[in-house]
Amino acid sequence: MTMPQNPLGGTHVLNGARGFFRLAEGLRWRLALGVGLASAAALASFGLLVLSGWLLAGAAVAGLGGQAAARAFNIMLPATGVRFFALVRILARYLERVVAHDGALRLGGRLRGWVYARLAPLAPAGLTSMQGGDLLGRFVSDTDRVAAYYTDVALPFCRALLCSVVFVGVFACVLLSAALALAVGLLLGGVLVPLVVGPAMDRLVRLAAEKQSYVQVELAQTLQNMGEYLLWDGARSRTRHWHAQQAVVDGARWKLDALESAARGLIGMITFVTVLGVLVLAASACQAGQLHVAEIPMLVLGVLAAFDVAVPLPMARQAGAEARFALTRLETSSAPAPAPAPVAVVGEAHKPHAPYDLEVQGISFAYPNTITPVFQNASLTIRQGEHVALVGPSGIGKSSLINLLFGFYAPHSGCICFGGVDVSTLRAEDMAAFISVATQDFHLFAGTLRDNLLLAAPQATDQELADVLEAAQLTKFIQSLPQGLQTWVGNDGLRLSGGQARRVAVAQALLRGTPWLVLDEPTEGLDAPLEQALMAALVRRGTRTTILCMTHRQAVLPFMHRVVRVEDACFRPGGGSDMKN
Amino acid sequence: MESTSAQPHGVDMTKGLARIARGWLLGSVVAGGVSAVLLVCQFILLAHVVDDMAFHGAGLTAQRHTFGLILACLVGQVGARFASDILGTRAGLRVARHVQWQLLAHLFAAGPVVCAGVPAGEVVTTVTEGAQALVPYFARYVPSAAMMVVLPLLILAVVAGVDGWSFFVLACTGPLVPVFMAFVGYGAQAVMERRWRELSLLGGSFLDALRGLKTLRLFGRTQDSLDRIAYLADAHGRTTLSVMKVAFLTSAALEFFSSLSIALVAVVFGSRLLAGTADFRSAFLVLLLAPEYFMPLRTFSASYHARQNARAAMDRMGTLFALPALARRYGAQTAYAGGVAQSLTCTGLDVHSPDGTPILQDVTCHFTRNRLTVVTGVSGAGKTTLLNTLLGFLQPTAGRLDACDASGRSIPLDCLRMAWVPQRPLMVFGTVADNLRLGMPGVDDQKLRQAAETADALGFIEALPCGFDTHIGERGSSLSGGQVRRLALARALLQNPDVLVLDEPTAGLDVASAMHVANAIRRCAVGRIVVVATHRQALAALADVLVHVADGTVEMLPTQKETVA
Repeated sequence: MTMPQNPLGGTHVLNGARGFFRLAEGLRWRLALGVGLASAAALASFGLLVLSGWLLAGAAVAGLGGQAAARAFNIMLPATGVRFFALVRILARYLERVVAHDGALRLGGRLRGWVYARLAPLAPAGLTSMQGGDLLGRFVSDTDRVAAYYTDVALPFCRALLCSVVFVGVFACVLLSAALALAVGLLLGGVLVPLVVGPAMDRLVRLAAEKQSYVQVELAQTLQNMGEYLLWDGARSRTRHWHAQQAVVDGARWKLDALESAARGLIGMITFVTVLGVLVLAASACQAGQLHVAEIPMLVLGVLAAFDVAVPLPMARQAGAEARFALTRLETSSAPAPAPAPVAVVGEAHKPHAPYDLEVQGISFAYPNTITPVFQNASLTIRQGEHVALVGPSGIGKSSLINLLFGFYAPHSGCICFGGVDVSTLRAEDMAAFISVATQDFHLFAGTLRDNLLLAAPQATDQELADVLEAAQLTKFIQSLPQGLQTWVGNDGLRLSGGQARRVAVAQALLRGTPWLVLDEPTEGLDAPLEQALMAALVRRGTRTTILCMTHRQAVLPFMHRVVRVEDACFRPGGGSDMKN
Repeated sequence: MESTSAQPHGVDMTKGLARIARGWLLGSVVAGGVSAVLLVCQFILLAHVVDDMAFHGAGLTAQRHTFGLILACLVGQVGARFASDILGTRAGLRVARHVQWQLLAHLFAAGPVVCAGVPAGEVVTTVTEGAQALVPYFARYVPSAAMMVVLPLLILAVVAGVDGWSFFVLACTGPLVPVFMAFVGYGAQAVMERRWRELSLLGGSFLDALRGLKTLRLFGRTQDSLDRIAYLADAHGRTTLSVMKVAFLTSAALEFFSSLSIALVAVVFGSRLLAGTADFRSAFLVLLLAPEYFMPLRTFSASYHARQNARAAMDRMGTLFALPALARRYGAQTAYAGGVAQSLTCTGLDVHSPDGTPILQDVTCHFTRNRLTVVTGVSGAGKTTLLNTLLGFLQPTAGRLDACDASGRSIPLDCLRMAWVPQRPLMVFGTVADNLRLGMPGVDDQKLRQAAETADALGFIEALPCGFDTHIGERGSSLSGGQVRRLALARALLQNPDVLVLDEPTAGLDVASAMHVANAIRRCAVGRIVVVATHRQALAALADVLVHVADGTVEMLPTQKETVA
């Protein structure tokens, strides 16, 4: 399936730094400006210390030289310089942060779009982790980690490179041998140290992340089968086992921290060794008359200031390892899933046509990685205009029919035809034009009730909204809310009860006005009078609509033309209860 | 949030946790202090040697001794710094471990029914990533908060001994930094609070959109949602930046004062040096120390978000700790030496779901040894709740549950040997034997075969390529549904339970496999209380006693076998 508005064309794989560069298209100047400002701040800091050192030493020399020398020494110029550098440092640091974070946020926005476009065609099959754990949360945190690549990795390394060149250049103007010493020191600290610790960091980051996923899966499994562990008296041993696994993650984290700290310490040592080296070189150059006395402290302070850009590099190297790992994981887990292959957009001629009959012919299906078949050679025909109840105990797979109908999963054998077209040739988005579904696991987005309703049908008028709310028996509830339809729901919003949320989903489905209406347990969580009223309203509204109602409630059945039971993984015609007698 | 009040969290929890790793934290702070002292010594020596070599014409050989001292200080300082870091990390990891241990223990105490009420993904994230968020807090934030006091005071003391003017400059600017940072920080906080809804909506919008992908596809709105995500991401960026612009002012305040004091020190000292009223060594030393004076503040403000993350994680943990502990404790089996359980009696039981909805009302029924009791009822009627109560995963709000031996003496419930075959039994990656031994590690092969035979599993196990040593794949994927159920039954039998509870053991099985499982269950009823919940006629027909659950009440129905058994 193609996503024309995807900035990357949807199918491109973000490949390491090159992919990142592609993503940054149009932002490059902004990102470069961030690096420029960061470098300016570091240079100003260097300038501030170097000039201060020179100022002090120069003043000291002049002061020792007696009255005349002191008067000859122009302190105004370096003092102005010092103030200038201090001012530049303050401004550049602030601007750097704003510009760099702006760039990073924009980059993060694009990355989100890219990830979303890749994941959209996979939902929901490709996004349900069979092993539990919060897969979606991981997508979010991985996306954020990759987006932080610019501020946490690219920026410190680029700044170190640019500034080092300038630092060495400034030193070279003063004393060539000191410049050489500084260059060697910076190379050792800024290049060799990250190079040495890099591979170990990569390995530890991967180990920690992989083990972390494993630990999460194990924990999800423990939670799922907690009852069995409790009865075996295995809670303690299970916890101990889990902790042993967690200890591996902790061990890797600890080593990473120690490695980063050691690398930072090493850079600290290199800094001071370089300081002493430069001091010795400068002193001997001074004795040889190549260097003014006042320039010795200046060079010493210069080395100290120069290494400020090298200190964050081990941390940046680690962030780089994390970003790369997150990117790889994003790419592999959002790669086209084993679920049905994406379907091409079909022309108008190949879309379902009236009469919109559903014919399910001998399908067999089990969810991936499960053994219990949901359907086995199951067949079912529903004609346009029929009102059919699909009954059976919960968990038997009534809702699976929705997944198969929309092509979220493909049946292992058999075929499903809708309106004369095999549904496997259609996209979920094509089916949506004909079938409205109120699922049990529908999602209420963070926003107002009205936003959520309009999400189902953007063109709906206020009258239409009022109509469907009336049919869904929500009018009274909405009127009881101080803000009515403008009430905030979803995350951080008003918590709707199960029955209320269910009816919002029904209202959404009704609003779309499609020839088919599929309702999954619409009356769950409602008391008997409300259940009667809702079903009566649904049937009254939908005399020409085909209604497929999945339910385990007896009270729903009288409203339907006929009842189909799901039993032994097949559809069986049946009346009343499948229980008792 | 009233639900979290049961467990200290936020500030209180932080203090409690800090106590756990007190030794490590103390070590980290002490090592940090040592490193600070050595750093100051190092700078004093450096100022000394630079002064000597530049102004007193001292040669390298004369300074060899000082060079050695500087290098020794350097090694000591770097080493102490390293020790401080790793001790801090150790402290953090220790706290995280402790919290994880407690969380898991509490979840087990809450039991499976309560835990099922919280989204599994949320629990997993809180226990793993939430606990990890505590590590930087204890590893970085706490030691850097201590260092923020130690190093500046140390430097102030040294500077006071060297030069009054500089002491004045640093002593005035230093305290102003936190004041201004707090000042600006409150401003940023105010902006953040004003835009809270916007920020939290946009911050969570990506996750929200991913969660709603199925709903969007069902509505045919995928394409529009792509534009929406781009728009939301953009808005998120803009809003966040507008808050950051204010928040960054805090670090700008720090930058301002540190740059200002360096410039002041340089200029003030410069004119005094010129006038000959100060010596270069002091000036140079103050200039070396001035940046270090502000360094701990910078580290501290950089680690500030670690504190916020930790606070958020602790709030989430608080909600988990607030879950009611409803599960019965098992494990006292050895303590009881009385007779075997003859019957299990419910008298006037009221059971509520963990959120307080009444499910069962005034349930009175009994389950007897050597009888197969089948619980029937439409789904949602309360079959599973009845089983959960028997198993001890839910506690009744009223009424009693008693166990008696043959002579009518009461047996403590936690002394009963209970076994359970849930709808989806646990199958781990490993061999058939591994899975059978899960509940009874170390049981011998003979017992394994016996249990398998009773559960009608021996036949298919022996037909597997490696028998008991055959790998069954991820979650038993190489076995059929009926085989998994019989394996789970055999595993339950290995426990030699007094009470065996099975939940829908034949759901999703074809007629032939269902028959196999049903017959196996029938055989197990000898010598124990067996309770089976099912909606299948075939299994109900084998029952000695039928218990029907409807509308939260229970009635015991006669069966045709009642008279025979």
